[in-house]
Amino acid sequence: MADDMSSHYQVMEELGSGSFGVVYKAIDKTDGEIVAIKHIDLESSEDDIQEIQQEISVLATCASAYVTQYKASFLKGHKLWIVMEYLGGGSCLDLLKPGCFNEAHVAIVCRELLQGLDYLHNEGKIHRDVKAANVLLSQSGKVKLADFGVAAQLVNIKSQRNTFVGTPFWMAPEVIQQAGYDFKADIWSLGITAIEMINGEPPHASTHPMKVLFLIPKNPAPRLEGNDYSNTFKDFIAQCLTKDPDMRPSAKELLRHKFIRNAGKVEALQELIHRKQDFDGNRSEPKDPRYYAESLHPMSRPDEEDEDDWVFDTVKAPPMWKPKGGTDWMTFDEEDENLPDSAQMMQDLHITQPPPPPKHQANSTVRRAPTDRSPSIRRANTKRRSSGVKQPLGLDLSYGNSPSTVRQFRRVSDKVQEPTPMKQGYDENASPKAMSTDSSSKEAQIGRRAYSKAVGLSCQEVLSTTGDGDKREAISRLAEAFSDLEMVDPEGLYHIVRIMNEKLQTDSRLSTLLPSTQPDSPSRPRLVLAQNNPHLKSHRRRQSYVPEPTPQSPPSNNPPAPGMEHTKQLTDVLYSRWSEGLRNRWGGI
Amino acid sequence: MKVMVQGTQEVNTSPDQVHALVQATLQEDLLFDLSKSIHMLPFEARKDTQTIFSHILRFRPVSYSNDKDPPVISWLVHNRPEVIVELCRGYMQSQSAMPCGVILREALKSDVVTAIVLYDQSREGEPAIRLSEVVPNHPQSGDGVFWQFFDWIDKSNFEVSADAFTTFREIVTRHKSLVTSYLATNFDLFFGRFNDILVHSDSYVTKRQSIKLLGEILLDRANYNVMMAYVESGDNLKLCMKLLRDDRKMVQYEGFHVFKVFVANPTKSVPVQRILINNRDRLLRFLPKFLEDRTDDDQFTDEKSFLVRQIELLPKEPVDRTRPARDSPAANTTAVA
Repeated sequence: MADDMSSHYQVMEELGSGSFGVVYKAIDKTDGEIVAIKHIDLESSEDDIQEIQQEISVLATCASAYVTQYKASFLKGHKLWIVMEYLGGGSCLDLLKPGCFNEAHVAIVCRELLQGLDYLHNEGKIHRDVKAANVLLSQSGKVKLADFGVAAQLVNIKSQRNTFVGTPFWMAPEVIQQAGYDFKADIWSLGITAIEMINGEPPHASTHPMKVLFLIPKNPAPRLEGNDYSNTFKDFIAQCLTKDPDMRPSAKELLRHKFIRNAGKVEALQELIHRKQDFDGNRSEPKDPRYYAESLHPMSRPDEEDEDDWVFDTVKAPPMWKPKGGTDWMTFDEEDENLPDSAQMMQDLHITQPPPPPKHQANSTVRRAPTDRSPSIRRANTKRRSSGVKQPLGLDLSYGNSPSTVRQFRRVSDKVQEPTPMKQGYDENASPKAMSTDSSSKEAQIGRRAYSKAVGLSCQEVLSTTGDGDKREAISRLAEAFSDLEMVDPEGLYHIVRIMNEKLQTDSRLSTLLPSTQPDSPSRPRLVLAQNNPHLKSHRRRQSYVPEPTPQSPPSNNPPAPGMEHTKQLTDVLYSRWSEGLRNRWGGI
Repeated sequence: MKVMVQGTQEVNTSPDQVHALVQATLQEDLLFDLSKSIHMLPFEARKDTQTIFSHILRFRPVSYSNDKDPPVISWLVHNRPEVIVELCRGYMQSQSAMPCGVILREALKSDVVTAIVLYDQSREGEPAIRLSEVVPNHPQSGDGVFWQFFDWIDKSNFEVSADAFTTFREIVTRHKSLVTSYLATNFDLFFGRFNDILVHSDSYVTKRQSIKLLGEILLDRANYNVMMAYVESGDNLKLCMKLLRDDRKMVQYEGFHVFKVFVANPTKSVPVQRILINNRDRLLRFLPKFLEDRTDDDQFTDEKSFLVRQIELLPKEPVDRTRPARDSPAANTTAVA
């Protein structure tokens, strides 16, 4: 039932990891729309699943241009997928990395946020975790509130909350004092966020978060001082940061503030996005896109346990139960038939390519981004045992794994620790995932398939057997061009491949040169994630490369979809002809 | 209407105005129409309906005593229980599931509404059961609206299923005395479906949540008799032991909290004893290694070692000790010796 839902999406690279999930970019195959999908591993969340449901229900009842749009959610095994609108601009926190915003930008962001808060507050919702990290921008500069991990839905618009949630630096005094608070708490956080945007960090940023909890109620409210700021901006901040919530203006009132009324158009925010892109582009470190890999559960059991299975009067014969690496225990595994192969591959790969020391710890449950000064606090209200301080969902949506960020992050997978070899760089054009797409047209479908199974792979293969630097670069540029074409126009790709193929066939000299291909060539086995290897993607990467140093291809903003390990009949035909064609044309050999 | 019942951040509501509105709503039978057709409304209107509906249900005149059910609730259960049944049926359409669920949970705060949901057996289009017609402890056919929750949880998409489960939990845990007698009367029917449909669900969430709920139901003091009946059954124990061997550790963990009830029970039935004795060695090998990484969970570790001790103390052969209801584990020691 729900499991089919996941096949509607083509999952691509990782965008970032939140507090209890990893966010991927994906394409909705039914309409080609790009979406963000948050994968939450429910197995590793001790907490009541109801809390996550709560977040979903808050999100699902929001329909505003100023709030990230929720699309769907469904289960795939023990992973919950939450599909949301994709915002390519990144979070305000990301955009702050190259430097602070100017007042004009802050004013625009604040106006948009106030619109969003006004909407939420009218709906009886309190966000409770407003901060730059939770403000996302679309590529065009639209500003949207994100992360409803700790949002509250009030039953009664007049009622108050006492729960102690949020992130210390941004928390309003009345929230910290737990004296009951309402919508006004979000306004305070907005004021702090404005300071964060203009100064690069919230007040007290250098102080320990726990100490901040004392400072905020005790100290006078933060103010902007000096001639660096305009008077209207100072006044806006002073209004937001009114310690008495009753005196603090509402979102609606603040929308009438001069600072907000004079704010420019959202398009101006594109400057910030471009600035961030340039900033990233100037970094020399290679990009390291992480692709979605279906992580499956290690379900093989130690042998000794086999004979240990329960004996019930009715079930007399334990052999029937015995999991002999067989299918019984792999109900989640879609492709279990090839288990031994992948295990074998694993072994081989280990010999040829010992993985470098892990950059990321596979099993860590605490994800700490350097920018993440402060975990949001959420009331631990688990029934049996609290799993500690929890951070709100999607706290840090750093886009594109920016090079400066060395994060410990929680892997999607849960069990076996296996070092993740981080092959730097050259997977940009590698491993586009075999897409079993059924999108738009048949041509497009075949085009994608041809790309994933033939074109991309052949580029790689040729690349790996080419030694000369210039030639290599040319090939990798070609590969990238194909990848782009495949993204933009798979139909076109199909036609190119088809016509190329036809032309090769029709030319008598060329066709004789082509080796005959049997339709049922021994295809490489469909790669299956080894039961004990949660890191399919590194696996794939290693698998699809001959262990030979290859140069880095130029970074692309548009990395292709992951995983291209499946080769099958048509593919083989296309591929070998194609590569032969290449060789003939360029006289290699 | 929405502004009238809930006010805004700036404007307070006027009780008189709300009172008049509530009167008019009931007179026009608006709640029934709303509950029946909420799925046809557009997105924002559904949310407004949910807000207005909830406020009307919650409405109390100023002078109204706080321990009585809100007047609209009383009126509904006596005069128009169909509204409540229709709200439940909101789970049949994904558009109406969430708003109906919210309204329903508001209504279920009153035990009289829970009674209607539990005992109604009307079919669509038929008049629903009125509160005065409810006969407690009357065995149910299993076709009533309450029993449809099993299907809604099992067959719907994630959002609807999860919401239906939340409501289901509310029904079976909120009003203890009502539910205890209901469970006792319909024991086989209820747990039969619970085990078959919910615990065996393909959905990870449904499975995990329902095992947890099962543990909560059984360990609730009010449900003592229900628990005793449940842990007598060898089949239930088998189901539970299989959960311990599930391949997902949170399922194992939730399963453990049900399993412990079987083992801790001082008056185990013969079938239960037999299974435990037959598996004694296996259990003693299995349990120490069971969820070993849960080191910071003291309660769990304690309970686990308690179970190990209990299993070690089991007699060689099952002993029928059904008659004396109070037997200490010490008796087991004698039996072993």
